[in-house]
Amino acid sequence: MTATRDLTDLTSREVGLPVDGGPGGDRGAGWSGRRFWALLALVAVGWTLWSAGVGRQEIVNPGGWTLLARFWRAALDPQLSGEFLRRTWDASLTTVAFAVLGTALSVAIGLVAGVLTSETWWRRTRGGRRPGWLAGRALLGLPRGTHEAVWGLFLVNVLGRDPMVGVLAIAIPFGAITAKVYAELIDEAAGGPYDVLRAAGAGRVVALAYAVLPRTLPDMVSYAFYRFECSIRSAVILGMIGAGGLGLELNLAFQGLAYREMWTLIYALVAVSAVADLWGATLRRRGTPRRIRTSLLAGGALVVAGAVHLGPDLGRLVSARTRSLLADVAARAWPPRPPADGWGGLVSRSLDTVEMSLLAVAIGGSLAVVAAFVAARGGETPGRRAVALAARLALLVTRAIPPPVWALLVLFVLFPGPFPGALALGIYNFGILGRLMAEAVENLEPAPGAALAALGASPASVFAYATLPLSAGRFAAYGLYRWEVAVRETVVVGVVGAGGLGRLLEQQRAAFDYQGMLATVLALVAVSVVVDLISASARRAIR
Amino acid sequence: MVLALRGVRVVYGRHPALDGFDLDVAAGERVALVGPSGAGKTTVLRLCTGGVQPSAGRVEVLGHDLGTVTPEELRAVRRRVGTVYQQLNLVGPLRVVHNVNAGRLGWWTRRRAVRSLVKPAEVDVARAALARVGIADKLHERTDRLSGGEQQRVALARVLVQEPELILADEPVSSLDPARAEEVMDLLGEVVADRGRTLLVSLHDFGLARRRCDRVVGMRAGRVVFDLPAGDVTDELGVELYRIG
Repeated sequence: MTATRDLTDLTSREVGLPVDGGPGGDRGAGWSGRRFWALLALVAVGWTLWSAGVGRQEIVNPGGWTLLARFWRAALDPQLSGEFLRRTWDASLTTVAFAVLGTALSVAIGLVAGVLTSETWWRRTRGGRRPGWLAGRALLGLPRGTHEAVWGLFLVNVLGRDPMVGVLAIAIPFGAITAKVYAELIDEAAGGPYDVLRAAGAGRVVALAYAVLPRTLPDMVSYAFYRFECSIRSAVILGMIGAGGLGLELNLAFQGLAYREMWTLIYALVAVSAVADLWGATLRRRGTPRRIRTSLLAGGALVVAGAVHLGPDLGRLVSARTRSLLADVAARAWPPRPPADGWGGLVSRSLDTVEMSLLAVAIGGSLAVVAAFVAARGGETPGRRAVALAARLALLVTRAIPPPVWALLVLFVLFPGPFPGALALGIYNFGILGRLMAEAVENLEPAPGAALAALGASPASVFAYATLPLSAGRFAAYGLYRWEVAVRETVVVGVVGAGGLGRLLEQQRAAFDYQGMLATVLALVAVSVVVDLISASARRAIR
Repeated sequence: MVLALRGVRVVYGRHPALDGFDLDVAAGERVALVGPSGAGKTTVLRLCTGGVQPSAGRVEVLGHDLGTVTPEELRAVRRRVGTVYQQLNLVGPLRVVHNVNAGRLGWWTRRRAVRSLVKPAEVDVARAALARVGIADKLHERTDRLSGGEQQRVALARVLVQEPELILADEPVSSLDPARAEEVMDLLGEVVADRGRTLLVSLHDFGLARRRCDRVVGMRAGRVVFDLPAGDVTDELGVELYRIG
């Protein structure tokens, strides 16, 4: 028995879905529901491919292959001069510091807001409090629906070039997501013991601390470390838009087409991501209370070290200058104004964004399904285990390299448009989904497959009759979950000219068109909300 | 002999689950394994399908020494041995027809097995098996949407279509109330009687073992305490077997 849950269970809570387990009953539409959604997904992906011009027009730019080849050749020859290594080391520290402080702050936000938005907190009190719960939940929707990069662009206008921009850009959206997950965990663990303490006269905080917190702590820590993994990746992306660290260095190296320097930075990225991912995965697989305590202490030490390294100017958050800049940005952004081709143009770009995200998840997801079975731990022969390790390494590299870099690489050989953007996001999501799915495969219950092997089924039949059907539901749930994230991520590939709302946002930013930016951000939020709703009903139907 | 275990020793970690264990089961016999939790009953059953390897001794199933068989031979033995599990071990997201057909996987080619997932093969056989256990109308439902009792029947139907010579049952009724337990034992008895099959079943319920089987083997701490015809088993033996300490 592991101490903590696996990731489907935890990530399901990000969108507020009931977690699986327990017998049937209210399981929704059944086969027809599954078939309907599968068909819909196929049609949607087909439409997306067609409208991206695959098979209809020239999308490959043959001239770019030599550049791409030069980039890959540099992998064997990274820049290892002492000066550049020092610079890389420094940038790595900055990125880790952003991620650590961002995670710490989002966990703090998550704890407070999680308690305040839990049903448990509002339960059994006099009338008039229930609206408080609804208002809390609704309030968390906006920060959750907006990508870290968008927050970064906004904050840099208000705070100027300050490390707090990177930290807050991570902490605001992640804090809202964490609050959602923590609220769900609290509500699930509340029940009996909490009510007993409340009935005995304990206050809400005391009752939570004694009856609920001890039971939810392992899951909360486990989720915090999953968020830390995500924060590292976000910190790199924020670096690329100017916050500093590995992302910024990577951007500079790319602009100078300095491939050897790029590879040094990429190796640093992979190393940092590997440590974060391994840490989180170890806690999920073998999270003994002692390991959790040690991890918490180490995390605390990292927070202090990160704060010292970045030296953020907290005074600036509340300074008069910040307040006036905030008022200024607000005044210049209101009212929102559509781009030159009107609201219709905004709608068509929103569709582009949806297409890109769909295509990205279709590409990344289908590759990830194959990779998951190759990469899952628990192979029986040494050769099989070596292959699995190599696959996990490949997945690590694909998700450690941020989507904007993938987009720039893809643009070497493809003509600009939504397709290269989708491909870049697809490669990146392949790394993330492959890893999530491999973990799901490792966590499959072994008994049904063993039962089939015991009645003489061949390994291939065991795979087809047990492993695949048992994992398909989780795979689909992960795919939908990443689709929701991918919609928000289209912003970061849009920034490099890959199309959709992200590209528009970048053009408006370059032109200081704040009213236009507000309209685009609102469109992005609207698209995320619609996608979340579709995804949530699909997930409910296929459970 | 359908089953011959000689001087078998199985060790999990440092703790021996079975030590010097002997058991012979002849064709058509119905044998119950009884004894307290941790006596090694499940280990005996797992030995019979090669799920556990003994560290000493010999396990012979249907004339094959499982210590020396090739993987192909092991598969050939396994498809002649059907198992009913306490946890059922069905694949929940698959439709009932596929879970029943899974009993045929030892016989089918890989190609046939995969094709059947798209267009179910031998549907009539599966439907007849489900009719035998009383749930013919559930053929196309998703297995995890059935009630616990219905899923138990699916597991029995899977054994039926497998047509095994030896049936192993690991605590098939210990999570059921007495009335349902009798019902499942009736069905299991029918499946066994069908072709004069051999049954080796582990049971907690002493009375059930005496009524339903020809022979009762009492186990404690990995050893045989008694091995008697069901008629000769007394209540005192049972009290002694389950004594604590």
